[in-house]
Amino acid sequence: MYWDEHRLYSEIYDLVVDVCTGVSPDCLVLMRQALERETNQTARSLLQAMLENVELAGKLRKPICQSPGFPTVYISFGDKFELPNIKDIWSRAITDATMDGFLRPSMVHPLTRKNSGDNSGIDVPNFEFDYVPGQDFIEMIISFKGCGAELGNRMKIMTTAMLGKNYAGFKRLVLETVKDAGGKPCPPFAVGIGVGGQMDVAAKLSRRAVSTRDWRDVNPDPMLQDLEEELLERINLLSIGPAGIGGDTTALAVKIGLSFTHTAILPVAINFHCWPARRGGFRIYPDGSKEVLFGRE
Amino acid sequence: MAKVTLHTPVSEEDVRKLEIGDVVYITGTIYTSRDMGHLRIRQALDEEETLPVDFKGSVIFHAGPVVKKHDDKWKLVVIGPTTSIRMEPYADMIANLGVRVIIGKGGMAERSSQTFQKYGMVYLQAAPGCAVKLAGGVEEVESVHWIELGIPEALWVLKVKEFGPLVVAMDSKGRSTYRDLKEQAEAKIAAMFPED
Repeated sequence: MYWDEHRLYSEIYDLVVDVCTGVSPDCLVLMRQALERETNQTARSLLQAMLENVELAGKLRKPICQSPGFPTVYISFGDKFELPNIKDIWSRAITDATMDGFLRPSMVHPLTRKNSGDNSGIDVPNFEFDYVPGQDFIEMIISFKGCGAELGNRMKIMTTAMLGKNYAGFKRLVLETVKDAGGKPCPPFAVGIGVGGQMDVAAKLSRRAVSTRDWRDVNPDPMLQDLEEELLERINLLSIGPAGIGGDTTALAVKIGLSFTHTAILPVAINFHCWPARRGGFRIYPDGSKEVLFGRE
Repeated sequence: MAKVTLHTPVSEEDVRKLEIGDVVYITGTIYTSRDMGHLRIRQALDEEETLPVDFKGSVIFHAGPVVKKHDDKWKLVVIGPTTSIRMEPYADMIANLGVRVIIGKGGMAERSSQTFQKYGMVYLQAAPGCAVKLAGGVEEVESVHWIELGIPEALWVLKVKEFGPLVVAMDSKGRSTYRDLKEQAEAKIAAMFPED
């Protein structure tokens, strides 16, 4: 077996450190484009500071943000899934990177609020497994998503009557949520939207859409593509701006994930991702080769 | 829009001079405090326990740092703002302690805005996600209190020099950039969907 425990651990540890000391390249490109377009002077200086921080973090190999957010690992696999205990390997890589000063210990018991001290804890990191029949590789993407951003999130079970003409009710819900979130989710943010299923499905779709998709990609569903483009444009017309103190750049991307739902309901989850997209991953093949995802130059 | 350096302890007079949009740097000492830290202050006050630091004229930074311990001394790795709205329920407590400046991100709400006006306080927005850059303004970790709350939630006393840039987003005249932008956004949304 090419992918033994030792090799996987060292690949995963290095990935965790890389991910928290920089941003994903799609995010970086969109931030640079935003700076070129931005007309508000304060917003321009904030965007410049953010870009400088990315550069400094990379150069000094320090965490880009003091908060590691909450980690979710997306794993997809095919019919052959022969690996050592990867849950344990991911947990160890995260606690070791914490002890090495790359991640602040931030995981607590939800009720007692007691900090575990090393980012270990029940269901940390969170795993999302996806079985893809016929896939010959195993894909793993880690996403550390900031938690201040979570404070702006909204979940609503809409109904047919609320949907409105041209889905105006749905669009309005997204815009109202963005307006109420203001500067809390560290704009210029990305917005993940999940529609369909029940509450749990919509929430997971929203996190997956904003965490695993390239923020510059085009939705293969033309209807969702139109909705993503329209919502992004409308959000940026709200002028909330970088850091939430005004400007042309409020959002970098809108990503929608969709599943069918029951005829009685329309679950909608709106999920903010702070601007520092800390995500990365790789695909590993049975022959021992590796393909990097969201790799930086 | 002026560029100002505030020295701690900060006077009411200095704070009242600040206008929305002014760019501020801090030199002196700042304290970090967030959810559990604020709760711990309230508990100390309720139980008439002596507070570990003097909050008169102080600067509270809504933040939890990344730190490393070297030879029994804490060293700062990076630090940046956390979302301030969670500390909104403590507006009066903080004002009564004599705090003059709050640094954070995302702004605070109406109760805070009222206390800022009444007591002479100001809210400064720090650039979010800029922890390495902001750490450049921290000279050293002077001390830490309530470490049993965990690293993010402990009260860290930091010696700072030209710490910033920070932007005045809520002033002591009752103005708030966040409120203004929210009202403008509300009007824009209403105009986008006129039939509702």
